[in-house]
Amino acid sequence: MLHRLFTGTLILAASLTLALTPASAFDESKYPDFQGQWKRKLGTVNSWDETKRPGIPQDPPLTAEYRNRWEASMADQAAGGQGNDTRVTCISNGMPRMMTILRQLEIFIRPEMTLIVFENNLPRRIYTDGRGYDAKDNIPSYNGYSIGKWIDENGDGKYDVLEVETRNFKGPRNYEPSGLPLHDDNESVILERMYLDKSNPDTLVNEITTIDHALTKPWKVVKNYRREKNAEWYEDLCTENNNHVMIGKENYFMSADGYLMPAKKGQQPPDLRYFNTTGN
Amino acid sequence: MAFTNRSIAALALFAALALPVLDATAHDESKYPDWSGQWRRPRGLATQWDQDKPAGVAQQAPLKPEYQKMLEWSIADQAAGGQGLDTRFTCITNGMPRMMAVIQPIEFVILPNITYVHFEAFMPRRIYTDGRDFPKDAEPSFAGYSIGKWSDTDGDGRFDTLEVETRNFKGPRTVEFSGIPLSEDNQTVVQEKISLDKSNPDIMHNIITIIDNAFTRPWTVDKRYRRDRNVVWFEDNCTENNHHVVIGKENYFVNHEGYLMPARKNQAPPDLRFFNAAGK
Repeated sequence: MLHRLFTGTLILAASLTLALTPASAFDESKYPDFQGQWKRKLGTVNSWDETKRPGIPQDPPLTAEYRNRWEASMADQAAGGQGNDTRVTCISNGMPRMMTILRQLEIFIRPEMTLIVFENNLPRRIYTDGRGYDAKDNIPSYNGYSIGKWIDENGDGKYDVLEVETRNFKGPRNYEPSGLPLHDDNESVILERMYLDKSNPDTLVNEITTIDHALTKPWKVVKNYRREKNAEWYEDLCTENNNHVMIGKENYFMSADGYLMPAKKGQQPPDLRYFNTTGN
Repeated sequence: MAFTNRSIAALALFAALALPVLDATAHDESKYPDWSGQWRRPRGLATQWDQDKPAGVAQQAPLKPEYQKMLEWSIADQAAGGQGLDTRFTCITNGMPRMMAVIQPIEFVILPNITYVHFEAFMPRRIYTDGRDFPKDAEPSFAGYSIGKWSDTDGDGRFDTLEVETRNFKGPRTVEFSGIPLSEDNQTVVQEKISLDKSNPDIMHNIITIIDNAFTRPWTVDKRYRRDRNVVWFEDNCTENNHHVVIGKENYFVNHEGYLMPARKNQAPPDLRFFNAAGK
């Protein structure tokens, strides 16, 4: 009897406690600690596969056609051009390249969505509310449309892995500054697995697999981000002091005193046919 | 009696066990106002600063004569096809306070130590609510450094108002597209009082006071935003399809065929002195 009463009291207490827990409370203890500022691993540059140098050492599984385009991009860059790298215009790097973390990023988790905030790109929204790709705001974008799923892989009652699939892109996009291209059809599918390193919770691992028609097979790389606990944020505005000037398909450079300059040897000046020369 | 004592002990034990589960890791959203959804300008309004007046001179900004002249010049230049003091055509951020005119919809994400304001076209604003003071060595920015404080003005146990002060700017910044200028000294202080309308929770008020050395007195406006619960987010990359090209201090236009064009009547073409004439 005493035992029954005690148990009853506990059940009552449990019910009361549950009722006291606000319906809208977000229980962060269910999610991994992704807080703070994440930077590229020390000693890495902004190559796609961080274990290799950018350019040819990446050894991507490109189709022959896209391999040729990539080589043309690198040759153009060697001659002073920008090749396939569109970042010169301050357009977003888009996915997957933005996950190289040119500048630091921040991740914050809410039950229905995980947000990735960058210093120099618009944020990524990873929806974890069970929606599908038929959502009405799923329109093509450089970031794509990301749907995620939390997984408790080790069964300890706490999520540890965020799996993300990203689709519905526009382009052109590339992986790294060398101009390593993605397919023009923009049908890329990017799969990510994000989790904290088991031996070092200040390392966030992002396994990224790209499936794309410019590739002969899915290409997986593993990125390691390091946590910076003393976070400082800057306002990185690409268009501020950007001295590149795009006119048509030509990239020019603007000198410190405001004169248009060729960006590569022998470059033609812009065609001024629309100017009234008598107005000069 | 013994049962009662045991029951009380059991309750106390359970409460003690349950409390730690609720505290440090749980973000109790019920303590904060419901600002979820997407916030837009009221229907029918443009992006003028004071929503109750037309843009430009009709705003009756309390400008000092010197800055009033700058505004009048800016409006005259825009009427002649120029951009006046409005720098947005270069895709630079509008910065504070103008970014709170909400050209595209915004989103508030409230966390205990920080409130984020997310934009479709700008990097996010971080409003720190962790009790910090303005840092002495922060890098000036267009968005400034924002410190906020939550208050429960009606004493119902739930925060309803976020008061924000923003300092530490760089420029040039304007208050609206007509070019209402802020002082070049960038000593602006922007104070905001953000809360839901008491009779309509789908209306948000942002009472914004600008204290600036271009003004004869502080300038306060009541900005209203309307909530859209059917949230649709777009990726607004300003530089994508931006046909404005700035060379030196001149703004030109690039037409759909990629030719440089004057942006106003009789505009001189750019000086091409750095191009090899033989290369023409």
